[in-house]
Amino acid sequence: MTDRTLNWTPSDDAMVENAIRRGATRRELLHMLLAGGVALTAGGAILGRATSTLAATPTSGGHLKAAGWSASTADTLDPAKASLSTDYVRCCALYNRLTFLDKGGVTQMELAESVESADAKVWTVKLRSGVTFHDGKSLSSQDVVFSLMRHLNPDVGSKVNSIAKQITSVKAVDPLTVEITLANPNADLPTILAMHHFMIVQDGTTDFSKGIGTGAFKLESFQPGVKSVAVKNPHYFKSQGPYLDSFEYFAISDDNARVNALLSGDIHLAASIKPRSMKLVESQPGFALSQTTSGNYTNLNMRLDMEPGNKADFVAGMKNLVNREQIQKSVMRGLAELANDQPISPASIYYNADLKPKAYDPEKAKFHFQKAGLIGQSIPVVASDAATASVDMATLVQQAGADIGIKLDVQRVPSDGYWSNYWLKAPVHFGNINPRPTPDILFSLLYSSDAPWNESQFKSTKFDAMLVEARGLLDQAKRKAIYDEMQVMISEQAGTVIPVFLSNVDALSAKLKGLEANPLGGQMGYAFAEYVWLDA
Amino acid sequence: MSTYVLNLITVRLLIAALTLLIVSFAVFFATAMLPGDTATILLGQAATPEAVAGLRSAMHLDDPAYLRFLRWLVGLFRGDLGTSYVNNVAVADLIGGRFVNTMRLAGITALFSVPLALTLGITAAMFRGSLYDRAVTILTIGIISIPEFMVATSAVLVFSVYLKWLPALSFANDVTSIGQMLKVFAMPVISLTFVVAAQMIRMTRAAVIDTINTPYVETALLKGASRPRMVLRHALPNAVGPIVNAVALSLSYLVGGVIIVETIFNYPGIAKLMVDGVATRDLPLIQTCAMIFCVGYLSLITLADIIAILANPRLR
Amino acid sequence: MTPSVTLAQKFGYRFSWVGMIGLSIMLLWGIMALIAPNIIPHPVGEIVDEDYFGAISSRFWLGSDYLGRDMLSRILMGARYTVGISLAAVSIACFSGVVLGMTAAVVGGWFDAAVSRFLDAMNSIPGKLSGLVVVAAVGSSITVLIVTLAVIYTPGAYRFARALAVNINTMDYITVARTRGEGLVYIIGSEILPNIIGPVLADLGLRFVFIVLLLSGLSFLGLGVQPPYADWGALVHENVGGLPFGAPAVIVPSLAIASLTISVNLLIDNLPQKIRDRSA
Repeated sequence: MTDRTLNWTPSDDAMVENAIRRGATRRELLHMLLAGGVALTAGGAILGRATSTLAATPTSGGHLKAAGWSASTADTLDPAKASLSTDYVRCCALYNRLTFLDKGGVTQMELAESVESADAKVWTVKLRSGVTFHDGKSLSSQDVVFSLMRHLNPDVGSKVNSIAKQITSVKAVDPLTVEITLANPNADLPTILAMHHFMIVQDGTTDFSKGIGTGAFKLESFQPGVKSVAVKNPHYFKSQGPYLDSFEYFAISDDNARVNALLSGDIHLAASIKPRSMKLVESQPGFALSQTTSGNYTNLNMRLDMEPGNKADFVAGMKNLVNREQIQKSVMRGLAELANDQPISPASIYYNADLKPKAYDPEKAKFHFQKAGLIGQSIPVVASDAATASVDMATLVQQAGADIGIKLDVQRVPSDGYWSNYWLKAPVHFGNINPRPTPDILFSLLYSSDAPWNESQFKSTKFDAMLVEARGLLDQAKRKAIYDEMQVMISEQAGTVIPVFLSNVDALSAKLKGLEANPLGGQMGYAFAEYVWLDA
Repeated sequence: MSTYVLNLITVRLLIAALTLLIVSFAVFFATAMLPGDTATILLGQAATPEAVAGLRSAMHLDDPAYLRFLRWLVGLFRGDLGTSYVNNVAVADLIGGRFVNTMRLAGITALFSVPLALTLGITAAMFRGSLYDRAVTILTIGIISIPEFMVATSAVLVFSVYLKWLPALSFANDVTSIGQMLKVFAMPVISLTFVVAAQMIRMTRAAVIDTINTPYVETALLKGASRPRMVLRHALPNAVGPIVNAVALSLSYLVGGVIIVETIFNYPGIAKLMVDGVATRDLPLIQTCAMIFCVGYLSLITLADIIAILANPRLR
Repeated sequence: MTPSVTLAQKFGYRFSWVGMIGLSIMLLWGIMALIAPNIIPHPVGEIVDEDYFGAISSRFWLGSDYLGRDMLSRILMGARYTVGISLAAVSIACFSGVVLGMTAAVVGGWFDAAVSRFLDAMNSIPGKLSGLVVVAAVGSSITVLIVTLAVIYTPGAYRFARALAVNINTMDYITVARTRGEGLVYIIGSEILPNIIGPVLADLGLRFVFIVLLLSGLSFLGLGVQPPYADWGALVHENVGGLPFGAPAVIVPSLAIASLTISVNLLIDNLPQKIRDRSA
């Protein structure tokens, strides 16, 4: 079996590095390697390589060209409306948040000096002094009030309107102090404020095309759907960075074209490359890969209030019919971590490690389908390119079904309008959920009885009560105990199959240094521009 | 002759205006039939009913779609292309630079591909049935059988990734010298030539062969006139009608159909703009792009019809 | 006239050898399409190879695709869609386009103007928009797919056929036929069509190529062949990531498309003289 180490690629090194950052023990790491089919002897060498990360000193200067994967005329510099990764990257370069998440997933202060509360209901935010916007005005508590309150106004079209609704008031106490009052206690507020949409803009802004923020870069030009150019902010409030003189960002939507542009030297970073492009990048000298697994997943939903999901045996059968290992291996080519039908990723401190992924068991599945009387019936399964890898996952399940006499009719529907027409609506369909920083947000958005995106129409009053109870607890251990049980409930009772968490891989020129994995997503949680530098 | 052509042009212009109006209505109905509107699409997964309602009123999309369409149409007559729903930028500003880019790429490709295609098509017809003719046929069909994205991707792999001769991306704005321009346009132009030349080559060849077979050309051939000479002197003028039509159809593709080349070479043109417009149900943007494609197409075919009529005296 | 042509004329419906090759390849693919379900070595949706973009081997004659599925099985089943759908669509498009084109040229006047402008307008509506509308309005099925493809390519066929027919329509023998009191059907069927059939067939051959390629484009709009099956164009598209490695998964379907389209066009170019050329 030693020849199987041939399967080990530099991207796997990245995975190990990632796990080390998360604080995995050596025993866990070796277990991970074994699972990847690496003999123990080789395993030690790989660990050595991954842990000796270079301690390099940043150099200043240079023009960075980086490419994301999606852009359109809907590109925006309004953080509340940001929806594509390209928007996040641009907003991160131009604005700051009150708090942010570091590579270990721990909340750190950014524009805030402190965010504190005695009861988790009324919070006091102290702002840093001496922070200025690009136009020279000083940051004051009025800007924070404006930036947070605008999410409550439906006219703004904020993406986090439903999360912001728990805020009942935001008051400026003095020029550098803000008081946030919540409807109910929520201990997660500092983490929620680290979400990209809660960036701080200037009081009264209505036209966001100028991109005036407090961020590391000042906007020079921006054409929606084409590109943006930003230059170094000489008055940036942080002592470190930015290192780059200027930063150009655009999108190349074709995956191969993006990789090719990197390899030909036209760009320094190609965000989110496909698993199958890694081989090509690795075969060329002078390039590196950066992998993050941050809780993004594509899931199969069976609505419990519609045929055939209202039959408990159908749902149970489908959970046994999904071959998670094969999805990880063949569809994602290893760029995924096995999941257990609940949305909290292993990267979270609240992850319930005792809840194991269900095994692929066609016999058991057949038993359930027979009991539900579904053998020989054609069951439509809606998939779309809009939900990453869902068409491939669907064909895998379809084939597994065909082997035991279940006819799954995979319907590939257009990406166009998928989220408004099929998602949440079709009886059996795929969804794709982006990472959220806290279990509370995930559960409230996706699984509570009144959740706006209750994909399988899972309703449980017990679950709802637990959610509210945990939210107000400042004691982390007690919260974890509750969250552990809620994960079990979702995994066993909801009509959702979450087969794997998808990893994101960014490919970069070896000249580009300082890029680290971040739990908020690829490209260093989209905030890489202010942290990276170009080696001369 | 000139009065006839002038009359024809006047009539055609009137008809073209009518066609544009019909297309505009058709595009409106098509867009209206698509599920979702700009507000729901922009909000995506976050589209709760109240958020949609709020955004809709903020973007002034409360009025019924037909009213907004009629308003756009009235504005058009005053030379106002309207304002994009999604980012509140004037459509004219969104399109401006990209339109120039598209026309530049289309122009260069036409300059390069039309002479090439006509030469190959006419010579293949002259030597019909020869090895040369067969080679041209197999090559042209072989080349268009390869999907466009594969031609473009292969070209980038070879010339940018491995040989490093040409840039992988074509930013139209970075061009400062002729040398740079050649480098930037080389791959997109060659990829597009592969796509559009085949139809012109094949149709030219077929049309010329068809006229060679007319009795008077056959008679001339039997009398001992040389074949190439006959083709150039007699067959070609009679084949002009079908040939210019084929050329017009091929070139019309360059105005609106180059989405793959725009995507792979990251070339900001109007095909991508149209796709964005459809994806976000941005009616003023969709309508304006559709009008541009339609005007481009109508001008090309009208030109083709006029040339055909001028070339065949019997058609007057 | 070259001696070989005279020879062919003498023997009536005799194909040149190039035409025979074209015909045989077409027939071969046709037979493959018919018997594919019985001869494929693996189910098209099954992952049989641990590796991806596998090379040609004794186990996988044409390698494996991006998921590790057997390419031979996928190509054989793909032949059903590519050959069948494209042939049906191109026949409908060219039949309606050519008949309309000839009629417009002969009838002329308002009929010509109306049909021409209507089809011009249709051709001006962006393809992606119409594709999405079709999916939204009538859903997706093979019949819808064929009709959509036919509708997209009718205006082009019409325009070219009309341009050819207009030229013929000015000939003296048409005027003679008209004064003889011949009906429209006779004129377009017996006088015009035989004189334009060569270019019309060449146009059909080309349209066939376009349809084969567009097929995969429509399946990405959700209008078309549904998983686990895929037409050849879609096979090229889903495996294009294998291009840098020269994977058979991307090269073989491209060759399959080229072999089919080239053979169709070779056959058209080398049809027996009596079919191909004017019979007047």
